[in-house]
Amino acid sequence: MNIIVVEDDVRLGTAIKRALEHLAYTVTWLRTGAEGLEALRNQSVDLVLLDLGLPEKDGIEVITEARRLKVKTPILVMTARDSVESRVQGLDAGADDYMTKPFHLDELAARIRSLARRAQGLADNQLESGALSLNLSSLEVIYRNQRVELTRREFALLRLLMERQGKIVRRESIEGSVYGMESDVSPNALEVLVHALRRKLSPEAIHTVRGFGYMVPRDIT
Amino acid sequence: MSRASIASRLRWSIGLLAVAVLVPTGWLAARQTLAEVNALCDARLAQAAFGLDTMISRTGLGHLASGSGQPLPDVPVAGHLGETPTHEVEVGYQVVDADGEVLLVTGNMRSLGVALAGGPAFRDVHIDRRRWRLYTYRDTAQGITVTAGERYDSRRDVLRALWMEHAVPLLLGIPLLVLALRWSVRRALAPLVTLADLLRHRSTACREVVVLHGAPQEIQPIVDALNGQFQRMGHALERERRFSADVAHELRTPLASTMINLDSAILGSAFDGGVSLPEAYASLQSLAHRTEQLLLLARLEDTTDMPRERVDLCAVARAVVDVLRATHHADGASLELKLPILPVWLVGYGPALDALMRNLVENALRHAPRRGHVSLEVRYAGPAAVIEVSDDGPGIPAERREAVFERFHREATSLGDGFGLGLSIVQRAARLHAASVELLDAASVHGLLVRVTIPF
Repeated sequence: MNIIVVEDDVRLGTAIKRALEHLAYTVTWLRTGAEGLEALRNQSVDLVLLDLGLPEKDGIEVITEARRLKVKTPILVMTARDSVESRVQGLDAGADDYMTKPFHLDELAARIRSLARRAQGLADNQLESGALSLNLSSLEVIYRNQRVELTRREFALLRLLMERQGKIVRRESIEGSVYGMESDVSPNALEVLVHALRRKLSPEAIHTVRGFGYMVPRDIT
Repeated sequence: MSRASIASRLRWSIGLLAVAVLVPTGWLAARQTLAEVNALCDARLAQAAFGLDTMISRTGLGHLASGSGQPLPDVPVAGHLGETPTHEVEVGYQVVDADGEVLLVTGNMRSLGVALAGGPAFRDVHIDRRRWRLYTYRDTAQGITVTAGERYDSRRDVLRALWMEHAVPLLLGIPLLVLALRWSVRRALAPLVTLADLLRHRSTACREVVVLHGAPQEIQPIVDALNGQFQRMGHALERERRFSADVAHELRTPLASTMINLDSAILGSAFDGGVSLPEAYASLQSLAHRTEQLLLLARLEDTTDMPRERVDLCAVARAVVDVLRATHHADGASLELKLPILPVWLVGYGPALDALMRNLVENALRHAPRRGHVSLEVRYAGPAAVIEVSDDGPGIPAERREAVFERFHREATSLGDGFGLGLSIVQRAARLHAASVELLDAASVHGLLVRVTIPF
């Protein structure tokens, strides 16, 4: 899941990026509203964490413009402005949720999960397919009643495929979601990642669709 | 009379003025009327005496002698004088010959006795306890003295009639005048009452201007002044609101990064690689720094507690550089201090000048590259002292230099550590000394030069 964090404060930006990466999200940290809008328009982004008090282009402007451009990506606003008016203003402009600084990491993670669930039409934090289940909150993976330890990237890949189980997920889409805007990704990094995942689960858990991408079947045995 | 109303004050003053003007003029008019009535009646009296004398001279004295001693019947005055018809006999005559023999007399003047000529032509006498006005005329050709008399009652009746005619309408007009006065005073003051109502029912949060339709010239300035005041208050409130929002942002952001970092640190070093705790510490330092800056800015807003004193700019610069060199990272930019040989004295606020230089140098150090160069220079420049701080950092493009002076402005390239707050402090401290702050290009290829010129 590819998350964009737009925050001009260096320490807060890096802290959020680091914390979310440890929660198996792919995070791109941007510092201006203009950059944030650019990323929203041109890339597949699953969620935006947006500060309102940004230099050059204000957060509200970013939301308004993004919604005007029909960008449907969930936007989670995090701001120091705690007045009811600014909340209403933010939500009315098209934000999906609103968080007042300061906030705990747990709350941030819970709100991100909640927005992701809503975007995917899920009722809870559990993704299941036959013998395989993923808990999005505890990051726990159970396969054939056994706990499986996954790395962050492996978890991110599995989550993406499970979210769209039974459907082919395109290569580019997977790379965008798992590696984000990282430029130094080796061409066969994805193959290596899929191979590692198959070893921890089972070879038939992930199907390769040549020329297109990968797929997790509906009822994994 | 602590809170006399304008309405009652106006009513009283107009009323008293009316009395003060009307009473003397009325009195004067009455006196004038009295004098004229007297003159007129005297003239009539004299004319009556002459008329009688002429008649006697035509008919001859002999005719008078026949009825000598017998009083003539009284002559009633016909017509109405005033309200009541006058039946009393108020006019009379007496004719006396040269020997003092009364030839002719009306009944009402019989007890007058012989009126002697030679005295004043007009006289006031009492006949039968009534006051009479007499005119005596001596006709030397015929040897007779003719006296015509008129009772004063008659004149009084004329006067009374005149008074009634003129004063009664006036007296009737007074209550009407009072009512009209009350009405017009109330009407004139109506805009004031409306204004008071508008102000009374105005909520404190209301930002709109007061509109008073058809406000008179005297009240419009009050309305305008009030509106000006409301607008200034509105702006001040808006500024305060923005300020507190900005303060919230300045303080909550480092607080947020402190919390996120501490949360990560609690999850353990396997989670965060052990960097969260130092980061949390740095965030807290940033929070402390911003808190200090905000407090400093608030203190500079109010100079009542700050003494104006003789300050040596060189000493201040030395102190600032000493502190910053001690706390600055070894691999950061070098800090150079250029001072004149003689001290630069001026009268000003020491703490403000210290804050000014410290924030300029801190900003410069923050924007200078690693192992870059920052310099602080104090010098004389004609009738002013000049403080210059330059760095070899990225500089600020000319078109954005205005914007960075806004309080809490954050340049996209800055490290986000209260950049605008520092410049706000500089600007405020400069304003306390009527100094100008200029952002210029540094002598190096890029970089910023801030020049503060303080006039002596």
